[in-house]
Amino acid sequence: MNPWSKLALAALPILMAFVVVPLALAESAPATVHGLAPLPNDQQVAANLLPPGAFSPDTGPSDVIYPTQHLTLRFNHAKHLGKEIGATCKTCHGAAYRSRSTSDQLVPTGEVCDACHSTDHSDTTNVKPGDEAMGQCAFCHLGYKNGDGNRVAVLELPRANLVFNHKVHVDRNIACTQCHGAISQIELATRDQLPRMRGCFHCHEAPNAASRGNAKSACETCHLPGRDRGTRIQTMFASGSLQPPRWLHNAEHTPDFIERHKWVAADDSQFCANCHKEDFCTDCHDGRVRPRNIHPNDYLNMHPIEARMATQRCTSCHEEQSFCLTCHLRVGVAESSPPVAKDSGRFHPPKNIWSDPPRQPGHHSFEAEQNLNACVSCHTERDCVACHGGAGVGGGFDPHPSGFLGGCATQMRRNPRPCFVCHAPTDPVLSQCR
Amino acid sequence: MDAEVTSDTAAQFYDVVSPTGQTTLERRRLTSTLGFGIYDLMPTNPGDPYAPELSFRLRLRYDADYGATPGTSDPTNFNSFVPGFQPQAVDLMYGYLEGRRFLRGTLGFKLGRQYVTDVLGWWSFDGGEVSVTTPVYVKAEAYGGLEQRGGLPLSTPRFEADGVWRGDRNGFDPLLYPSFQPAEVAPAFGVALESVGFTWLHSRLTYRRVYNTGIANESDFTSGLIAPVTYDGWRISSERLGYALDASAPGLGGAKGGLIYDFYRARITSAYGSLDAYLGQKVTLSADYDYYVPSFDADSIWNFFAGYPRNDVGLRANLDLDRRLSVAANAHVRIFSVQTGPFTTGLPASEGINTSLVPGVVAADYFPAHALSFDEGGEVMARWRTSTTRIAFIARGDFGSQGDRVGGDVTGEQLLETRYVVGGRVGVWQWKDDLEQDREATGFQYVLNAGYLFAPRCKGAIEWEHDINGLVGQRFRLLLTLTLGAGSSASIGSLPGTVK
Repeated sequence: MNPWSKLALAALPILMAFVVVPLALAESAPATVHGLAPLPNDQQVAANLLPPGAFSPDTGPSDVIYPTQHLTLRFNHAKHLGKEIGATCKTCHGAAYRSRSTSDQLVPTGEVCDACHSTDHSDTTNVKPGDEAMGQCAFCHLGYKNGDGNRVAVLELPRANLVFNHKVHVDRNIACTQCHGAISQIELATRDQLPRMRGCFHCHEAPNAASRGNAKSACETCHLPGRDRGTRIQTMFASGSLQPPRWLHNAEHTPDFIERHKWVAADDSQFCANCHKEDFCTDCHDGRVRPRNIHPNDYLNMHPIEARMATQRCTSCHEEQSFCLTCHLRVGVAESSPPVAKDSGRFHPPKNIWSDPPRQPGHHSFEAEQNLNACVSCHTERDCVACHGGAGVGGGFDPHPSGFLGGCATQMRRNPRPCFVCHAPTDPVLSQCR
Repeated sequence: MDAEVTSDTAAQFYDVVSPTGQTTLERRRLTSTLGFGIYDLMPTNPGDPYAPELSFRLRLRYDADYGATPGTSDPTNFNSFVPGFQPQAVDLMYGYLEGRRFLRGTLGFKLGRQYVTDVLGWWSFDGGEVSVTTPVYVKAEAYGGLEQRGGLPLSTPRFEADGVWRGDRNGFDPLLYPSFQPAEVAPAFGVALESVGFTWLHSRLTYRRVYNTGIANESDFTSGLIAPVTYDGWRISSERLGYALDASAPGLGGAKGGLIYDFYRARITSAYGSLDAYLGQKVTLSADYDYYVPSFDADSIWNFFAGYPRNDVGLRANLDLDRRLSVAANAHVRIFSVQTGPFTTGLPASEGINTSLVPGVVAADYFPAHALSFDEGGEVMARWRTSTTRIAFIARGDFGSQGDRVGGDVTGEQLLETRYVVGGRVGVWQWKDDLEQDREATGFQYVLNAGYLFAPRCKGAIEWEHDINGLVGQRFRLLLTLTLGAGSSASIGSLPGTVK
């Protein structure tokens, strides 16, 4: 063996170590498989590729409107829409251009794929694979193994819980990307490429009768009509109940929404009426069964302290001189309770606190000035007039606040009745309000 | 055309015991409603966004307390009679014909008994409402009719201004119960301007005037001795102007505000403002302010009584941990002004001037020295929910010069096999009433309930409540409910499906 040969033999292990093995390893490293995720290797999708209206960071579309999907196909939109293949949206989704309902089948059947993949899906009970690798069932159908025959995993695409007419939008030259984002740069299209409500408002932001053609902003334009027809839209689905997003009227139904809803309803009750009919409101605001989420258990015992502290505004749901007073009369705790029910107990602090000076917390005038509503829930005006009238026993206890004379003329002119309860029409003091 | 019939029935059994235990009301209540609706009364072209809509909706209610003794509703039984109490009442909650989107979407109307909900409150009247939606993002609305008033046929007192003990006096001796005022019709009208169409801005300006009519008793503290003096004639019941605003910027936050001006009292009686900051997709921080002064029907003397506004200042936070779990917390301070000296009304014998009525006390010692008083409170709430399960937690504490209350509840509800509902609530509350002697307790309560959805929109349920505290011992409450609904609905034809 000549020296050169010995050198070559000695170099062989080095060559193996530094060249052949790395090359072999490089060959065996798994290549990126495209079409399994929106972007290769499940990279995060940039905001500019998502549908208009998506937030950044994106939390995805509503899973009530778009129920969870089970995607069992791999598909690379970017490749198909690229120059190499040159397909367009219509190539595969031609049905979308004619669709008038979200219940239409818009995902292409396997037959659409046959022309390029040399497969034969004409008989779905006996699909014939193609000769090439891209014609094999496992090329597109995830989880398919040789020997599975004609069985592939089921693709589940629940219909959107929406009213949507693709044809109307297509006819108005609204491009697919205006609602679905940059599909041409996306590999697998998932729920994340479905339209966002905020994006819809780019066009659907107009009054019923106003200027943007038929793109009305009414909720029922896009949302399914209420099955319980008192509501304008359907809110209960198998996928959950529909809730307003935070950005819409600041009306996110947070755990404390019961305390904030008055501000939403005060401004736009018709917004509430899209999902709730009157019965929903009357259950509390004119209800006859105690709502547990507002009044906790044992509320009969607890309600006096809540009324005195006015932690909730009783008058939001109760008229005090009927709802409260009637029950207080019956149970005997009101001053005007009928004799058979009148309770002999005292329901206020002792006289030396409640009536006598000084006027500290606990004195009836101090409490009345802070929460007159609590007084009105038990007392009729007679109870107050007995001491605060313009003459007689209560002649010295004027209940009027400072500055009263400044406005009493207007009040007396518009309704003199309360003046005459305490002051006889001939009372000279009334002349100051005439 | 679609039609539907609905009904809700609740039977409640519990006792109400007076604080001393001397009086017990056996409440055996039955409340039942019957609703009826007809929709799409006009033929429409599906898909036409300008197609007018015509519908009719109605709901009647029967509300009875079979535990009431006969004497409570017998005006001749002076020992037991409770003016205004109706042991078996029937009312028409609403009943109206509604038109929407007439004249190519510009005209809407309602005729009949209907609600108006806005910053002026939750209100009901019999009459008509018409609204015109203009192409310039404004809707104009006008309505008029008679306010719903207790004591009138098929009516409840829920919607009238407070402060007047009023109802049906038919069959009463005019000498008896003179402070119980006769119910009369109350003409009312209102107008409103409202923005429409924007998702990021909405506001409503609203005005309403209500009149009292007929006779009102005046000198009502001489019951049974002399006939009361009466006042007769049209007069203001309430006249108020309200404004509310709501604006939001999806990436930043939102703002709300509103106020009510009472023309009769010539002052602002309610105002509020709220600012929300969206910190990312999960956190919302808010600051609130609420101002409130009680106001009453202009027939009431209580509008003339001195009173100070409540000023509530609060901070709130909400955290959406995920789509199922949310946690909210808030804390607030309520600030009152305090009378620290005699009023100067200009009238003779104003209190504080006439300290001769309280011998030995001079004005300086008569009033508190501090001009403000404070109440405080806060709460934490959490909720976890799926389409079949709901668990909620609330804990709150309120502290003030009138007393305090601290406690919490845990509530759970589970839907099983799409038709069985089971649930429960457990709570512990401690409270102390400083305005009554010996009124404080720590209570433990639980509620168990079960329901069965026996058909679409039909459910029967039973609920048992048991309250235990050292003050009153044990109390029980049984609640039975039955919900029924049936109808023909075209919308059911578009049920969600799954493409497989």
